[in-house]
Amino acid sequence: MRLRRREGYALDHFIGFVLALVYLVLLVKTAHPLGYARDEGFYFHAASTYADWFEVLLRDPGAAIQRTTVDAHWAVNHEHPGFVKSIFGLSWSLFYKKWHLFEEEGTSFRFGGMCFAACGVWLIYVWGTRARSRTTGFAAATLFALMPRIFYHAHLDCFDVPIAVMWTLVAYAYWRSLDEPTFGWALAAGIAFGVALDTKLNSWFLPPALLLHALFARGGRIARGLKLGKVRAPLALWAMASIGPFVFLLLWPWIWFDTVDRLTDYVRFHLNHEYYNMVFLGVTYWKPPMPRGYVWLMTAATVPAITLLLFFVGAASRARKHVFRWIGRAARPEVDPAHTDLLWAIGFLVQFAPWILSTNTPIFGGTKHWFSAYPFLCLFAGTGLDFTISKLRALVPPSRAGRLAPLVDAAAFAAVLAAPLAETLHSHPWGLSNYTPLVGGAPGGASLGLNRQFWGFTTGAVVDWLNEHVASGQSVYIHDTAGEAWEMLHRDGRLSPKVQAAWSVQASAFALYHHEEHMETIEYQIWTAYGTSSPAYIGTYDGVPVVYVYARPGLRAAGN
Amino acid sequence: MEATRSRRSWARYLPLAVPVFGLAELGAHQFFSRRAPSEKDWSDVRPLVASWFVPGDVVVVAPYWAEPMARWKLGDDLMPTRDVARPDATRYSEAIEVSALGSRSPELAGWRVLREAKKGPFTLRAYSNPAPPAITYDFVDHLGPDSVEATIETPGAKTRCAFTASAPVEGGGLGGPPIYPASRFVCPGEPPHVFVGVTIIDDEQARPRRCVWAHPPGGDGEIVARYRAVPLGAKIHGHAGMGWLIERDRAVPPFTLRIVAGSGEVGRVVHQPGDFWKGFEIELGAAAHTTADVSFHVSAPSGGTHVCFEADSR
Repeated sequence: MRLRRREGYALDHFIGFVLALVYLVLLVKTAHPLGYARDEGFYFHAASTYADWFEVLLRDPGAAIQRTTVDAHWAVNHEHPGFVKSIFGLSWSLFYKKWHLFEEEGTSFRFGGMCFAACGVWLIYVWGTRARSRTTGFAAATLFALMPRIFYHAHLDCFDVPIAVMWTLVAYAYWRSLDEPTFGWALAAGIAFGVALDTKLNSWFLPPALLLHALFARGGRIARGLKLGKVRAPLALWAMASIGPFVFLLLWPWIWFDTVDRLTDYVRFHLNHEYYNMVFLGVTYWKPPMPRGYVWLMTAATVPAITLLLFFVGAASRARKHVFRWIGRAARPEVDPAHTDLLWAIGFLVQFAPWILSTNTPIFGGTKHWFSAYPFLCLFAGTGLDFTISKLRALVPPSRAGRLAPLVDAAAFAAVLAAPLAETLHSHPWGLSNYTPLVGGAPGGASLGLNRQFWGFTTGAVVDWLNEHVASGQSVYIHDTAGEAWEMLHRDGRLSPKVQAAWSVQASAFALYHHEEHMETIEYQIWTAYGTSSPAYIGTYDGVPVVYVYARPGLRAAGN
Repeated sequence: MEATRSRRSWARYLPLAVPVFGLAELGAHQFFSRRAPSEKDWSDVRPLVASWFVPGDVVVVAPYWAEPMARWKLGDDLMPTRDVARPDATRYSEAIEVSALGSRSPELAGWRVLREAKKGPFTLRAYSNPAPPAITYDFVDHLGPDSVEATIETPGAKTRCAFTASAPVEGGGLGGPPIYPASRFVCPGEPPHVFVGVTIIDDEQARPRRCVWAHPPGGDGEIVARYRAVPLGAKIHGHAGMGWLIERDRAVPPFTLRIVAGSGEVGRVVHQPGDFWKGFEIELGAAAHTTADVSFHVSAPSGGTHVCFEADSR
């Protein structure tokens, strides 16, 4: 019996791996038209510097761990931990510099982030399958992969998808340690927590979230232990508290020296992070109080509606079961030592808590700040589809159930995955400009006064136009594009060497404007400097103007 | 009993709503992604707009977010910067609204529809202003060496600012001042931002407002734009502001705009940070319907602040 279960799990890991591989290939194959976001530019630089340190480590380990060497390589971008950027750097170093597997250098950095996204799909499939069913796992994994915002961020060498995956991994290891208590899973939870700490600060929510779950799930045991003077917390929590910090320290050389001061600086940086601008319903917010409705409306406006519906169906069907159990109407109480539903619910809600509990929490990152909620949202959505399919099968006459059941399953899957698939593919390479039909798509988002983009990544959408129209010696004011992000377009060969950047409007022959409400003043500066308010080209998404190119009137056209 | 059984039997089919909802979302996605006018639609509507357009009309786009598409495809001829960055729509006698997605421009609420036509995804409407003003003079349009003298005035001293059409184009940047145009009155001995010239600032809705930049000098001086022989109407109608991004934190000093027509002050506007793009209207009294010199005196405490104003006489 156990052997058969293990074989089943092996098959599930194989299916999860295939799903991950498909997603990874899709991400790599679609990377080319996507411009580079501001933060990616900063991380290119940091990641390559860290990769250089790893080369020193291989060559001369003794020298690598000296303070001067560590500081020289790890001081860059030390406001964020180093692990994920190390992965980006190693991916670049191995797959681009050494083995030449990628044509474009930028994709080689991004590949590290794409691997996290692919592993996330695998993990969600396995968790959904183990906890509920293959239907749940498959639906959860695909619905996660087919969220337009996840698909955009999954391409990037940034931390938001990696932390969502690491968050889920820690929760999964913790869950496994409760489900079949073994030292191995507790150890895994501890190590994964250390890596999560080294990924992004969202990991700070893991201890309170899991502690809350432990109090509900193991409250009696913990209380009895406390009466005896013992703390009987789940072993995974002990491992997270003891092993996690060491892994965190080990993976981030920057904090090997002046540890307390540097950690204090890190925490202080994020607790006192400046507020950037973000528009919501036509109002730009740049300081508290932030709007209470932001997380809810933005989630509703960016996650496919069918995914949300399935989430509600799944959550309601599970809640119903628990209520029936409590009031004694359940035929046979479910045995779930890991209290899976509770863990998923906490995992989902805790990500929204900063915006629910405080109006001081910044909103400038848009939806990416609560990405860690989405794996849990999708696990409930997968549960919802499983529940729906079971009810649909019940509509089939018993005499024809054997023949029609697979068709019912396939039809239901096709019907619920069609819209997320279409929306996700259609969102590319505009990512952040995409809104779901619930708010009228991109035009509806524009009419509602929702943000059309940030980070200046849509430069990628006008690269071909610039290559065609900018002549040698003419430069382009690159507006919100970071210098390193622009430079990577050159290094990729996507941007012609003749198309050079200008750092002010007045020094430029062409000017980009990435539309964001608070940056309109930049567009008006272009009008005054150029003497025209008529763009030479606009990158549009579903008819919505996103990135504009202005040309100084009377310019010599390229090639003349 | 029968009704309950019937409800239960219908409830059995409720799960069908899930796949139906999924397919409906797919249909809605297809619909919304094709709903807004495309680049080609905007090109195609240009001849019709051009055939309706009479110089002096303003072309207004609804919804406002689609306006860049109109500027791109209709061009400066039909949508010159002067009109795109208008102070408000009240100065125009007629307007052409290019409407998509069923939108109407709030700027033209109360205007009379003269005619209407459909073209592709657009509805074109020609409007008439129910109370068009007779504008006798536009102070922004006339800012130039032929009509204006700009000076820095302190107690006992008056320094003339020289007009040039080839000053270095400076300023700009996010959170910075607007661009200082090449054509402007440059004030000797003052930093580059102390000048008189036409530029564009953003209002509290991030909309463009073309106006006369008149950053006052430090200390207790005034920067003055003196217009010669202005044919005046009954009043001076105008707006003043600093730029939304500059004054939104209310961390800049207020400024005062004194308006002198003929030999006497006809009014003053005190602009507090946070007033943003604020309108004013000053009755000219005895100076009404005369030809007189009009000067705008701008001052601010503690070294000044961003000041941009526009005005006409009507």
